[in-house]
Amino acid sequence: MTGLDLAAPQMQRIERDGDVVAARQIGRHLAAEIGFSRPEQALIATAISELARNIVSYAERGMISFAAVDAERRQGLRITAEDRGPGIADIHAAMTDGFSTGNSLGLGLPGTQRIMDEFDIRSAPGEGVTVTVVKWKSR
Amino acid sequence: MDDIIASSGGRHGPPGGQIADQLRWFDITETDRRQAEALAVTADELAEQIIEDFYAHLLSFDDARRHFRSDEQIARVKKGQLKYFRELVTAALDEDYVRNRRQIGQIHERSGVTPTLYVGAYAYYLHRLGHRVMDRMQDDPGRALALLLSLIKIAHFDMAQALETYVEAREATIEQREREMSELPTPVLQLRDGLLLIPVVGTLDSYRARSLTVKLLEGIRDHRARAVVLDITGVAAVDSAVANHLIQTMTAARLMGASSVLTGLSAEVAQALVKIGVTGEALRTAGDLQHGIEMAERMLEI
Amino acid sequence: MPVRVPILRQGRTLIASIQEDLSDSDILALQARVLEDVIRHRATGVIFDVSALDVLDSFGTRTLSDIAAAVQLRGARMVIVGIQPEVAFSMVLLGLTLADVPTALDLETGLAMLGRAA
Repeated sequence: MTGLDLAAPQMQRIERDGDVVAARQIGRHLAAEIGFSRPEQALIATAISELARNIVSYAERGMISFAAVDAERRQGLRITAEDRGPGIADIHAAMTDGFSTGNSLGLGLPGTQRIMDEFDIRSAPGEGVTVTVVKWKSR
Repeated sequence: MDDIIASSGGRHGPPGGQIADQLRWFDITETDRRQAEALAVTADELAEQIIEDFYAHLLSFDDARRHFRSDEQIARVKKGQLKYFRELVTAALDEDYVRNRRQIGQIHERSGVTPTLYVGAYAYYLHRLGHRVMDRMQDDPGRALALLLSLIKIAHFDMAQALETYVEAREATIEQREREMSELPTPVLQLRDGLLLIPVVGTLDSYRARSLTVKLLEGIRDHRARAVVLDITGVAAVDSAVANHLIQTMTAARLMGASSVLTGLSAEVAQALVKIGVTGEALRTAGDLQHGIEMAERMLEI
Repeated sequence: MPVRVPILRQGRTLIASIQEDLSDSDILALQARVLEDVIRHRATGVIFDVSALDVLDSFGTRTLSDIAAAVQLRGARMVIVGIQPEVAFSMVLLGLTLADVPTALDLETGLAMLGRAA
């Protein structure tokens, strides 16, 4: 992932569904501080919500961290969602609209990818999932 | 200036921004520089005459003559040219040199010196110089050829600097125009209570498409609109990405409680929409603005 | 702390006005209460006012769809009102189009919509 850290990243533990709310509020505040427009803030908050819910639904606990990033004179927000859950065996399938193994619509990951500018997912069975996304401020 | 040099580094092609790489690309070695420099005295002696001949040649073209307003201007340009060619044989080919060459390229570009004029002038100079050098070094034509070949390599490297600047300047102009086009305001017109018309004119790049979305959706909220007519008659090119974005925007409008009609689609765009699987149900369209407004008015009555 | 969303009654229409960011369990609790109230008050219409929300993600949207379907099985109609511009666009990008639930700009328009249908 591109970008240089500007500030110490903030973290939010994700263990219960109340943490999903907390995570998207942190993300939204940070996005506002960086200067994202209101529509962009909404997109970011929505993406965080999806990432956090995936943790609660599939891995029970995990962590979401937030960092302001700066690259090539662009400012952005990087969000990393990590868990030590069962992991995803077939990432390709998980990235297809409509795929779901749990109690969600299965739109979470591909939808999140559409919302954000950069999307990276790493996982192996038994080793949890790490999703890193970046949203860049529009010029 | 630094920016211009640095930005060329990111461009495609084997010669990157690094001067060392460029020199390697042109196969310019220390020997070439020494050999070109060996021509310095000869070039100095001959330059003035060549330039005089060149201007006689140049000014026989009406188009070229129009570039010059006065004899003083011609004298000034001649002097500049003398310096330019002198530097060519003695150049260190370092960063300062490249920066200077690019600056000159910019000046040429701005003052309307076309690449043809520029390259033609160069060819004229090299050609004349070449003949004179061969004449002078009749006793050692092999060496004369070697010196000239080295000079030609350096001259090509030199021309490349100026031409890169031309291309960059043009690109910057195009970008500037595109930005201006994309900054054209998109008005939100209230035709009557609850009915908005948004005429889109110009190009719809991704930036402008985004701001159109924001305007349309906020327009719905601010005017409490229940129907929107989006007219894209004046949009130059609608590719599938833009079409997809328009459909997403209209879907978002529906989530807010407003119906929308898209008017002014060209036959090609309509076909493109069918190709990406958009059907009449997802997208209400009307052939022209008039019908679009009528359609929207009927929606208001429901 | 669980959030309790007030459900107002106007004639035979119920109005659930969500004022703050809800967690998934808050939404599920709301779903149960709305369905109980529809039966108890023999409501013919339900309005969900989400104008204060700045996020409606896949779970929230799906639950709203579920509630609408259940409300309909009780013979009533449901309208979602007040989806904000930025929320609407985020939903579309996520692929959430709420195709089966009527929407309206605000409470007033939503009430008018249910009135016409009645």
